[in-house]
Amino acid sequence: MGLVEIAAGKVLSSFSAFLFLTILLLAVARRISTCVLLFSLQSAIIAAEVFAVGFQERLAEAYVVGALVFLIKVVAIPYAFFRLMERLKTVREVKAATTPTQSAFIAVAMIFLSYAAVHSYGQSVHVPADALAAAVALILTGAFLMVSCRKALMQMLGLLVMENGIFLAALVTTFGMPLVIEIGVFFDVLMGLLLMGIFAFRIRDTFEHLDVSRLRRLRG
Amino acid sequence: MILLLPLVIALLAPALILTLRDPRAATRAAMFAGGLEAVSLFAIVWQVHTHGALEAGRYFRADGLSSIFLFNIAFISSLVLVYASGYLSHTGEGRFSSPRWFYALVFLFLFTMISVCLSADLGLMWIMMEGTTLASALLVGFYNTKGAVEAGWKYLVVCTVGIAFALFGTIVLYLAAFKAGMNPAAALDWVSLMDAVSRKGFDPHLLKLAFVFVMVGYGTKIGLVPMHSWLPDAHAEAPTPISALLSAVLLNCAVYALLRYVAIVSRGVGPAFPHTLLLIFGLASMMAAGLLILVQRNLKRLMAYSSIEHMGIIAVGLGLGSPLALFGALLHIFNHSVVKSLLFFSAGNVRQNFDTLRMESISGMAQTLPQTSAALVIGCVAIAGLPPFSLFVSEFAILSAAFSEGHYLVAGIFLAVLSIVLGGLAHHLFHLLGGEPKRLPARAKLSPSEYTVMGIAALCLLFFGARIPYLFDALLNQAAAVLR
Amino acid sequence: MRLALNVFQWLLLILAAPLAHGIIAQAKARLQRRRGASIWRPYADIAKLFRKEDLVPPSASWVFRVTPLVLFGAMASAAAFVPVVQGSALLASRGDFFLFVYLLALGRFFLSLGAMDGGCAFGGMGASREALISSLAEAPLLLGLVAVAILASHADIAGMVGWTLQQNFFKISAVHILAFLSLGMAVLAETGRMPVDNPTTHLELTMIHEGMVLEYSGPSLALVEWASAIKLHAMLALLIALFAPWGMAPHVSAAPLLVALLVYFVKVGALMALLAVIESSVAKLRMYLVPGFIGVASAMSALAVIFATLVKR
Repeated sequence: MGLVEIAAGKVLSSFSAFLFLTILLLAVARRISTCVLLFSLQSAIIAAEVFAVGFQERLAEAYVVGALVFLIKVVAIPYAFFRLMERLKTVREVKAATTPTQSAFIAVAMIFLSYAAVHSYGQSVHVPADALAAAVALILTGAFLMVSCRKALMQMLGLLVMENGIFLAALVTTFGMPLVIEIGVFFDVLMGLLLMGIFAFRIRDTFEHLDVSRLRRLRG
Repeated sequence: MILLLPLVIALLAPALILTLRDPRAATRAAMFAGGLEAVSLFAIVWQVHTHGALEAGRYFRADGLSSIFLFNIAFISSLVLVYASGYLSHTGEGRFSSPRWFYALVFLFLFTMISVCLSADLGLMWIMMEGTTLASALLVGFYNTKGAVEAGWKYLVVCTVGIAFALFGTIVLYLAAFKAGMNPAAALDWVSLMDAVSRKGFDPHLLKLAFVFVMVGYGTKIGLVPMHSWLPDAHAEAPTPISALLSAVLLNCAVYALLRYVAIVSRGVGPAFPHTLLLIFGLASMMAAGLLILVQRNLKRLMAYSSIEHMGIIAVGLGLGSPLALFGALLHIFNHSVVKSLLFFSAGNVRQNFDTLRMESISGMAQTLPQTSAALVIGCVAIAGLPPFSLFVSEFAILSAAFSEGHYLVAGIFLAVLSIVLGGLAHHLFHLLGGEPKRLPARAKLSPSEYTVMGIAALCLLFFGARIPYLFDALLNQAAAVLR
Repeated sequence: MRLALNVFQWLLLILAAPLAHGIIAQAKARLQRRRGASIWRPYADIAKLFRKEDLVPPSASWVFRVTPLVLFGAMASAAAFVPVVQGSALLASRGDFFLFVYLLALGRFFLSLGAMDGGCAFGGMGASREALISSLAEAPLLLGLVAVAILASHADIAGMVGWTLQQNFFKISAVHILAFLSLGMAVLAETGRMPVDNPTTHLELTMIHEGMVLEYSGPSLALVEWASAIKLHAMLALLIALFAPWGMAPHVSAAPLLVALLVYFVKVGALMALLAVIESSVAKLRMYLVPGFIGVASAMSALAVIFATLVKR
């Protein structure tokens, strides 16, 4: 089917542009719900990428993995986040340590860094530089979100974005790892999120707030 | 099939324990399951020793290296379970949400750790490594106090991020294998990788990149500086049996995972690169932990930093690379776990009697808690590396390897840190044991279970210090052979 | 023939400008479920104002009197650089997008001076706010245009449009997405639309652009209003020309030009509807948050430039 081929080719060649956009918007967003929706969008783009790769390389496993990505990261996890926010009754703002302008420029610097990193390894790996740079930028963005945002929910989200970046890196370089390993990784991520959710409740109950930068009783 | 037996036991035990309502019945079930577990693990070790490597399906394998760690898990987990039964029975009402959940989670934790040591596939090893973090997070935060919740959160987040880096490293290794032409289905299998990396040409840049990420990732779980920030909190705030399990078993499993990668990368790009990294991280851990031991105020936190220091020693031993150093490091893994368990058991007793772990509010323990003090003294002398205890043997092996290889700077730093630690421990001990007792203990005598396990641990230290049993020696040699 | 076409494009931009204001106002009214004024209302307003008397504050100097003329002149000249129906413009020359941006700046500069000259307190306040916003907004405006220029390897707007016309519509480029977003945000800041400034506010303390024109009356006010309408129309036309020029006539002949004109009306209508939707759905940003908003636009345009250079390497 010509149209599906064109669509697959389109997705493969231009998805990184949209991922960079979501990275920029994640850095400047000021509400947690916006960040969760951006994460959902990001995962949708990555799921589309998985399907496109599966179509082009004729890998049946890719469809399974793509469906998993879609169900878990686009639907289930954002839904769980919204439910968690409702039940935690937490403040809805992202209390970032940097102003939106500073975060925007840090995001630009990170994207630049990821291109530089990919360029220096370019000869070892024969992949389009954009896609791998998008993956590295996602990892850096996840780390940045975890470090700069002080709310427990945002740290969870930062972890998820990092996980997205690692998954994308695996996808563009090796078309994905063996299916069993991918499923195991998904399971681990889900369980990790579940546990973090449990701990978020406990933090809220014992400390009356969810600001992890104020958890400083254990020092030295 | 015998390989799957401990895994099956570890999975069925929680189910069994959770169905029993009565705490005492649950405790007995846990003891029974723990005994079965230990027996099956010893059986595997014996099988591997007599018949060579065992396999079960594509994903599980036990060879000389795994058997050392399995032996470690079996020994320490049986000690810890026996201790826990006594510890939990003396804890007041309301401290624990329920001993059933405690034991169930402990067995899940054991399941993940045994799977790490039994996996033949690096991907499965990663999954189970992440599983250890998940299984133990609730255990760390078990007491639900402010400190415990904060420690549990930090543990969960820092270790998950670290493990994510290790995942990236695994992916890069997979990529290198993929590009070298390996079959994708076997590209994460350790044996196939060891075979292929020497025959085919793996891209050295990719191998080095993979190792750096894996070092950072699994190094977080080992507790190497600067990725160690979770360790003092988690080990201090967790219930004492869990602290012992974390310090004595989990850190070792992480070392096992790292060792598998060291073996592959050493074959691929030569041993210089991984060994240099190990030396750097090891020395940094030793120095940082050694200095921080001097200023500790919480007893269990002091022991946690001591764990970091000893993980540094193990990393240095692995990084020196000679057969003697390797032997010393592997022996040290076992010795450290025994002495750390002893120390944590004593600390648990202190906690139960004085209801606090702040060292400045405790003194005169030699008069009030004579048996615990004796155990504490034995433990501290052992962990400082003095003879006649077993840590002296392993540290001496590493040190002489350092001198014979010509790494004089490494040996110098090693000795300096050991001296500083000895001084610090002595200072803390004198403060704890000497002087007039500020508080009176709740109960001065140890219960039989505590007495037994601490005695076993102390005897083991003495015994191994005198001579390493032939069997254990053979195990060590087998393990070293796997790595070369 | 080409000259006549360019003059036509220029006059279209100038003369249809009040209609742009009217259409946006009508769209907003519809969104708020009102009937709204007729779309030709701004013309009636301008005509009315031309018939009225020009009152000048006694303390004002020649700056106040000359500002509406300079403003109108600058906007009208800026409009001469933008292609509408065909890939050429009246005053196209190499590097003309710098001239475009600085003509806008010239007009703004005089407007600020005239506002302060008028002696009204609100004028001074509006002028200082305008100075902050415009100095910040210049960066994304210029950088966005520079990014597209690097990609197109042309330094004039007409050349960039010609290059974009030749590109495949389905080849989405990261540079264009980022440049469009940052230029869009810069346009919102420059023309004083939401969320930077509310053009329909009657509260003088919240006015930025309206505060600067409070003192003008009669023909001066007509010129000032018309000039701001030309600015909005020209910038919308610039956005369309740079990022969605398909439909423009490839060469100067009657039928394609008519089609191009119709397509242009559709496109600019869509853009104006989008503007109306944005205006109706977002709240005005507080003054200390505006630099953050423009800062995001600057970061996006910087990224666009980085990507453009990466693509070109």
